[in-house]
Amino acid sequence: MSQVLHPIEQKLLKTLIVQQNLSPEELCEISKLSIDQVRRGIEWLKFKNLASVIETEKNFVTLGKRGTEAHEKGFPERQLVNHLRSLQGYSCEMNDVKNLLQNEFGPAIANAKKNGWVEIVENRIMLKGYHDVTSEEKIIKTVSKNPSGVSVDELDKDVVESLKKRPEFIIVSSKKSALVSLTEKGIESAKTVQDTIEFIADVEVTSSTEPEAKSVRAIDVEATAPTVFAAKSHPLRDVIDEVREIFVSLGFSEIIGNNVQSSFWNFDALFTPQDHPAREMQDTFYLKDIKAKNIANLSQIKKVSDAHKKGWNYQWQSEEAKRLVLRTHTTCVTIRELADKKHDEARLFSIGRVFRNEKLSYKHLAEFHQVEGVVVGKNVTLRDLMGLQTEFYHKMGIKKIKFWPTFFPYTEPSLQSMIYNEKLGKWVELFGMGIFRPEVTQPLGIKNPVLAWGGGIERIAMLRYGLTDVRELYENKFGWLRSVPKCQ
Amino acid sequence: MPVVALYYNRVKQILGKSIPKTKLIETLPFIGLDIEDETTDHINVEYSPNRPDYSTDYGIITGLQGLLGIKTGMPVLKIKKGKYSIKADPSVSKVRSYVTAIEARNGKLDDETIRQIITMQEDLHNGLGRRRKKASIGIHDLEKIKFPLLYKTVTREHSFVPLESDLSMTVKEILDKTETGKKYRHILDGHAKIPIIIDSDGKTISLPPISNAKLTEMNTKTTNLLVEVTATDKIAAEGVLAVIANTLQIAGFELYSVKVTGAGNSTPVLKSRELVLEPELVNKTLGIEISNSVIVKSLRKSRLDAKMRGKKIVCTIPRYRTDIFGVMDLVEEVALGYGIQNLVPTMPGSVSAGERNDITKTLEALRQTMIGLGYLEVMNFELTGKEILYDKTGREDSKIISVADSKSQEHIILRDILLPGMLEVLSRNIHESYPQKIFEIGTVFEKDSPIVESIHLACLSAHKDVNYTEIKSVLQSLLKTGLDLTCNTVPQKEKMYVDGRTASIMVYGKKFGTLGEIDGKVLENFKLRTPVAGFEIDLSGLAFD
Repeated sequence: MSQVLHPIEQKLLKTLIVQQNLSPEELCEISKLSIDQVRRGIEWLKFKNLASVIETEKNFVTLGKRGTEAHEKGFPERQLVNHLRSLQGYSCEMNDVKNLLQNEFGPAIANAKKNGWVEIVENRIMLKGYHDVTSEEKIIKTVSKNPSGVSVDELDKDVVESLKKRPEFIIVSSKKSALVSLTEKGIESAKTVQDTIEFIADVEVTSSTEPEAKSVRAIDVEATAPTVFAAKSHPLRDVIDEVREIFVSLGFSEIIGNNVQSSFWNFDALFTPQDHPAREMQDTFYLKDIKAKNIANLSQIKKVSDAHKKGWNYQWQSEEAKRLVLRTHTTCVTIRELADKKHDEARLFSIGRVFRNEKLSYKHLAEFHQVEGVVVGKNVTLRDLMGLQTEFYHKMGIKKIKFWPTFFPYTEPSLQSMIYNEKLGKWVELFGMGIFRPEVTQPLGIKNPVLAWGGGIERIAMLRYGLTDVRELYENKFGWLRSVPKCQ
Repeated sequence: MPVVALYYNRVKQILGKSIPKTKLIETLPFIGLDIEDETTDHINVEYSPNRPDYSTDYGIITGLQGLLGIKTGMPVLKIKKGKYSIKADPSVSKVRSYVTAIEARNGKLDDETIRQIITMQEDLHNGLGRRRKKASIGIHDLEKIKFPLLYKTVTREHSFVPLESDLSMTVKEILDKTETGKKYRHILDGHAKIPIIIDSDGKTISLPPISNAKLTEMNTKTTNLLVEVTATDKIAAEGVLAVIANTLQIAGFELYSVKVTGAGNSTPVLKSRELVLEPELVNKTLGIEISNSVIVKSLRKSRLDAKMRGKKIVCTIPRYRTDIFGVMDLVEEVALGYGIQNLVPTMPGSVSAGERNDITKTLEALRQTMIGLGYLEVMNFELTGKEILYDKTGREDSKIISVADSKSQEHIILRDILLPGMLEVLSRNIHESYPQKIFEIGTVFEKDSPIVESIHLACLSAHKDVNYTEIKSVLQSLLKTGLDLTCNTVPQKEKMYVDGRTASIMVYGKKFGTLGEIDGKVLENFKLRTPVAGFEIDLSGLAFD
């Protein structure tokens, strides 16, 4: 089947068969197409191997600041000569001219002498003669008529060189231009183009009652179409949603809570002593000048502070517990829920932002997402926790998992899970887990054991999208957001 | 987390037998240590600060001996009665009440042993010692000291040669000029009198918690040591001393007691304690069925002593194990001794059906609606900076909520609206193709007894023909399709928007947000060259309570 050509392509072919080697601007003028149409058309013809484009680079001359001045007021040497001509005796003291020409005095004298126009005798300048117009003046005049620049090829090279030596007279800059010509295939094609090219709408509605009314113009179905981008959710959101769905499918219900928490729920309720290094400002964001009003009920405060005194042997301060923090984990949301509702059996989870006073780097953010799940039950065990974790990973598509002991201040026993990442070819630390310490659960009236596990979601997202710099997730670069596939 | 270097040659020597490198690397994680990196002659491992006894290779290898079954049970401290004493003057109780000490004799110090001991000292300072505030340690060459010692206070004019110098300096100079002085002098702030330990010749040997004297510095020729710990808490002081005593004993030193008296102080008793463990708790917690003898064996592999007493197990815990609070900690010790790799995961059946939170469901529906309207989701930080939130937008900054001591100037203020962050997103993408249409759903913060958090939805459209009408259409459609609501838009003036093309979004007669074209000056500040229009609404109270 023969190729279908767009009316723009047809116009260009017809123009180029008459005259080859035209620039886009020239094509535009001859064909009466707009410059955008010409550019698009050239791309299409190139793609179909009907036209070829030779990129050339040419030097153009435009006027500099002094060149413009020289054009308006005359060259410095011309001004000097004109001045001398107006004087009786055609001569004057050097100093008179100095005042007249100021900064241009030096170049005026030098060039006038070089041209043989003046002579200097004992500090007096005398006119010897002059030319009506110099070759330099001619060039400045020519260039001044073409503000877009004059090609160097059209000018006397030596004069251009000498003008280049005069500061700010002329600017020589290179411009790229393209010359379009037809290929052999293009010439063949051009011969088949009819004389009258009709621009008709690309889409014609053909009424079914009048099938004969008007035919639809065939279009080039092989041509590349413009790129459009689908609106979509953020890739990190997709991972969050996936994690949420897995928790729901495992029978967990979602709880949410505030990002700003009192130290009481973020630390004290989790048996983290008030002088613990994790509570220092260099790790935790405390709000400036604002404190919590009510942190918990009196019995909760008493029982938690008693556990601290007994376990850590120090004077517990309620003021310290009132300091507001940007939560360092979602566990504060979980423990509040458990302390309030005192579930005997429950599966709960929470996904949200957590904060650490970190300097941002390729592996650390000051703010990221964490998920945490808990199982409350009379007979739940550490092996169950490992099983739930294994099932979670399986649903994420992770098959190789192992467990190592670790330490968290509020769980005992505590484990960390390692997963094998096929892309990286190594074991990566992922979620941490454990059973809430009796020192955490007992003061808050939680009777049954609580299995808890959780970790950062950005870590999973990085593995999922093959990122090496965690900051990329929050850079919102459209290049990435628009191109990363929804199905991973 | 702190790091310890394990040299293969020392591992072999301390362990008492040779062990393949792969076996070593495989086993270390199962006593709770993370492998940081490996080199040809050593491994760097990280330990959790709750186990300060793992702050040297001696401590780590003691743990390994247990898990590998080379040596099990509790290392017993053998402390002989010594002849030296230290007395505390009542004046110290105002600044740093407690002192305790021990002698370690007939040991050998090479460069690596000294390095391990100094690392342990620093880790103990930072962990149990709470950056020297609660407890700090001095380790001295015993032969340079004339006993008895006196722990007392002096003025800041008192002078001696500190470890960091070759010249005599006053206390004031040490605090103001030396590195450690500057770092820890805040602990002594507000105290006119400063604690020192002085020997019977009147020579200062220590300025707790800042520096030892140059005089008693240990080196590879030193064989006898004095370890002193000063503290604001007696239990912490003895805990720290116990860790060091245990480590030095493993390193081959003989321990001798130092008599401590005065101002509520007493000679340290680094005694072990007993906890009674119910075997049922172990099996129930771990989800296994193991016999009492296996439990005893597992505890011994975790370097504790254990024996059966009737149906229960009595566990003896050495003084240096400051991390053990109660029976649940012993359950973990059993799990470690038994071997975590021997616990097979089980999948418990669920008693409940899971569900997303109602707010999550609503947000998800609104997100789908915005995507349907052609908007791309972006996600920004909640903690951001003044420049983006207020300077570039020209908004009032009287009610900002900031965090203290942020390590980054760009993350210091909690956002009160979403749009500035989103304008910044457009600003970062000016080279990408237009139209650009983005939305964000996120938490914002407002100061109000003390803080109110609400969830906003905002969107921006940027292209050469964008205008108020376009963005109002989007708003109407979002409210209608997403929430079956209609709104009124009432003229208003607001910073960041163009006058005459800005309106309040009114639903149920109440304002829930603003829409309009973004002001040219603001666009310029964000280096945007395309017109932008947008809106931001508060979903809290509108879409959910």
